Amino acid sequence: MDYEAQLKLQAHLDGELPEGEAREVTNWLARDREAVALYGELRNTRQALVGYEVGVALPESREFFWSKIEREIRRLKPPETPVHPAPLLSAWRKWLIPAGTVAAVASAVLVGVFGETRISTVETAVADPAAFTYHDYSSRTTLVWFSYPADDELADRTPAAIVE
Amino acid sequence: MLAVTSLAAPAPDLKLEALLIWGTNEGTSPDANHKPVGPKLKRKLEELPLKWTNYFEVKRIRFDASLSNSTKVPLSEKCELVVKNLGHSKIEVTVFGKGKQCATRTQELTKEDTLILGGNAPGSTSWFAVLRRAE
Repeated sequence: MDYEAQLKLQAHLDGELPEGEAREVTNWLARDREAVALYGELRNTRQALVGYEVGVALPESREFFWSKIEREIRRLKPPETPVHPAPLLSAWRKWLIPAGTVAAVASAVLVGVFGETRISTVETAVADPAAFTYHDYSSRTTLVWFSYPADDELADRTPAAIVE
Repeated sequence: MLAVTSLAAPAPDLKLEALLIWGTNEGTSPDANHKPVGPKLKRKLEELPLKWTNYFEVKRIRFDASLSNSTKVPLSEKCELVVKNLGHSKIEVTVFGKGKQCATRTQELTKEDTLILGGNAPGSTSWFAVLRRAE
């Protein structure tokens, strides 16, 4: 059996042949044992592959999915690296850290009071681990998304039943 | 004296509105009472990473959030918001789904800000509770 004939069998199995050609292949299969054997092998292979393809469907969009991962990374504490400062640097640090903190707080207050642009501060206390937050600072919109699958109890597909 | 009096006066109630929105890829809603959301909210929704193309307003509730009491906002039988005015345009919103507390959020809600809470609904659609200042 040549390569073209093998491809035609595969195309027939995949339902890709036009009606006329499909009928020809069916007739061919009725009289050619080799073709039947290959057809059976192709079908078994396809079924095996389909059986192993686990359909993983995210309950939310790709952006939300990655947003959750990003939040989790931010939430994790970075590993502490041991630091052995030089004695002189250590002495400077004692002064620099509180001074820097005061300067940072003062800057934040000044920007908050007098600044033209303002970044809205958000505190979150989410009790539900399936909920996560997305900020769009340009449109000043905050989205809290509850990534549960749709409620089957509300399976009546009318919108009124879904939300009321 | 007038300035002192006005400074000492209690903060006014926050005038807010909560909207229940249905998100879908269908062009129309089977419920004739649903109307497409306004252009401002539609634009905000479109700027979020959501997969739906059309949004319909199911319910709208206007209410005043006072400093003294929390305000219950029943958007549906299964979804209720409890809004507390913390002063200085800050609010605390607690979401209840089927009577269970799902999340509590504290944030500033100025006239430009919009808080949207949402989730999946059957038929690859979505629900949204939108909270914003009443215009």
